[in-house]
Amino acid sequence: MINGNEKVCVQGITGKYGKFHTKKMIEYGTNIVCGVSKNNKVTNIENIPVLDNMFEAVKKYKCDTSIVFVPAPYAKSAIFEAIDSGIKKIITITEHIPIHDMIEIHKKAKEKNITFVGPNCPGIILPGISKIGIMPSSAFKPGDIAIISKSGTLMYEVSNYLSKKSTGIKIAIGLGGDPIIGTSIDEALEFVTHLNPRKIVIISEIGGNDEIIGIEKFLKKGYNANIQVFFAGRTAPKGKRMGHAGAIIEGYEGSIEYKENKLNNIGIFVAKYIEELLEG
Amino acid sequence: MKIHEFVGKKLLKESGIETPKGYVIKNSDSLQVKFLPAVLKSQVLVGSRMKAGGILFANTKDEFFTNASNLLEKEIRGEKPYAILVEEKINIKHEYYISLYIDRIEKDIKILFSENGGIEIENNKNNILNLSINDYKKLPDKFHDIVIKLHKLFTEKDLILLEINPFAEDENGKLIALDCVMHLDDNALFRQKWAREFVNDSYPFHFVKLDGDIGIIGCGAGIVMATMDAVNLYGGKPANFLDLGGGANSNVTLEALRLLKSLNVKKIIMNIFGGITKCDEIAKAIVKFKNENKNLPIFVRITGTNEEEAKQILDENNIAYFDDMYEMIKFAIRGEYQ
Repeated sequence: MINGNEKVCVQGITGKYGKFHTKKMIEYGTNIVCGVSKNNKVTNIENIPVLDNMFEAVKKYKCDTSIVFVPAPYAKSAIFEAIDSGIKKIITITEHIPIHDMIEIHKKAKEKNITFVGPNCPGIILPGISKIGIMPSSAFKPGDIAIISKSGTLMYEVSNYLSKKSTGIKIAIGLGGDPIIGTSIDEALEFVTHLNPRKIVIISEIGGNDEIIGIEKFLKKGYNANIQVFFAGRTAPKGKRMGHAGAIIEGYEGSIEYKENKLNNIGIFVAKYIEELLEG
Repeated sequence: MKIHEFVGKKLLKESGIETPKGYVIKNSDSLQVKFLPAVLKSQVLVGSRMKAGGILFANTKDEFFTNASNLLEKEIRGEKPYAILVEEKINIKHEYYISLYIDRIEKDIKILFSENGGIEIENNKNNILNLSINDYKKLPDKFHDIVIKLHKLFTEKDLILLEINPFAEDENGKLIALDCVMHLDDNALFRQKWAREFVNDSYPFHFVKLDGDIGIIGCGAGIVMATMDAVNLYGGKPANFLDLGGGANSNVTLEALRLLKSLNVKKIIMNIFGGITKCDEIAKAIVKFKNENKNLPIFVRITGTNEEEAKQILDENNIAYFDDMYEMIKFAIRGEYQ
């Protein structure tokens, strides 16, 4: 996913969030080499050169990774440009990207064998090394636990607990909570396993059951890992949309009751309180 | 968001899908009979409308006026109708079921199809074909052209669900969409102008009313749901779900607090982990709200971006706060402090 050696380009660097988080990422030690913006008046932000397009970014600065802050209506064309430029990894922070755009983006990224994380996610952090994302870094103390999360703020909450009261975080990946996301749970699991974490914590919500399918797929491949899961939305009413595009119980298979039963049957611990994740 | 049947029917018609002849009546002043017999359908967005008495028939003028006036007034599963749709009655020879939806796992559009429509599809899973959109040729021949049209409509209008149940075949072998359920992707509203007049976006945050008496507020859907869960686990009942979203300012927060107050909650639990959200903005709103409502207990957990500034503001106004969400919730519900 990331190893800390990425040459990162910030797409949408002149926007409010792009600018703010470029500064934060540089302070954290991330190797930001350039930015891209369609606002052609600004040529420099935080001593980082601002370019017109991704082709230039890849050609001139040998970028291999982009982090996308481009607003949703323009996100598809920005991401397509990144894919066409030959970039290897794309991490999309932008929220509210239409589902049909994401279907097209996912197809194109898959065809070109690009790692795509997000959208609507906090990004990825290797505590103490690098972060390509927007997470408050104080909640991520370096350690040996891997986190894979479909919820942004809950990833901060859980990481903060495990940083203060347990052994800290080796990697945290925010996959995003939208119905269509670029990287699925099983792909993220496979990646973090190669880092040999002491345990893997998966954070999710009501709606969908891709965690279950992802974990089953991962285990079927013969991997063995200490996995714990925490779900939010146990008490959410059926049929109501709880803020997120993804967080709606559409049927029994999206309910936590179903998901918890399924996981218990294959021996995976499901925590009712975040505090229970301190054990094991 | 869910799309009213009469709007969906219009879109189907424009796509070249046959629908019954019909018209819309918005209020009792504009009641008129254009044909008989007629089907009168309450335009509500809840499911199982038929069972709840939302669909009535009229064979005579008297029946028409009685049933139409009745439907215009009647709440269906707690929802007032937007209008009623009047349609000609079709003589049905056979009913099919078809829907297009988005599959999260395969990250693509899929088709559900059944030779037996009109029944509860959830209880009829064995007779249903579940196909990738590219495999539509596995359906009966007469549906091939229909699926191509539906697929085009589905993508062009940013739909995430399009269900026709029943898809009726009449005595002449004509296929007619008798009902339709459409869900539009909220994130695509910026390019789907036709849907905007039905958008009901009254708050600058995500709010869902629940049955309990404890007000809940937070930033981030996941953390708000985790807060609701913890309130329940400790024996309390949430009055609502309220997610301020990312980057809420002091005015939006104050509006949210005032909304909870209007629900007559016993207390408010506020769980803030500021990422994009600045804690001092939240703290300013709490101070203002507390000054307006001295007797309403409010429990605050605040951490993250600009935490120190926020805590200083709260200290200066003698408002207590917590660092840990579970400690706060336990204390708020049970009065225990560890």
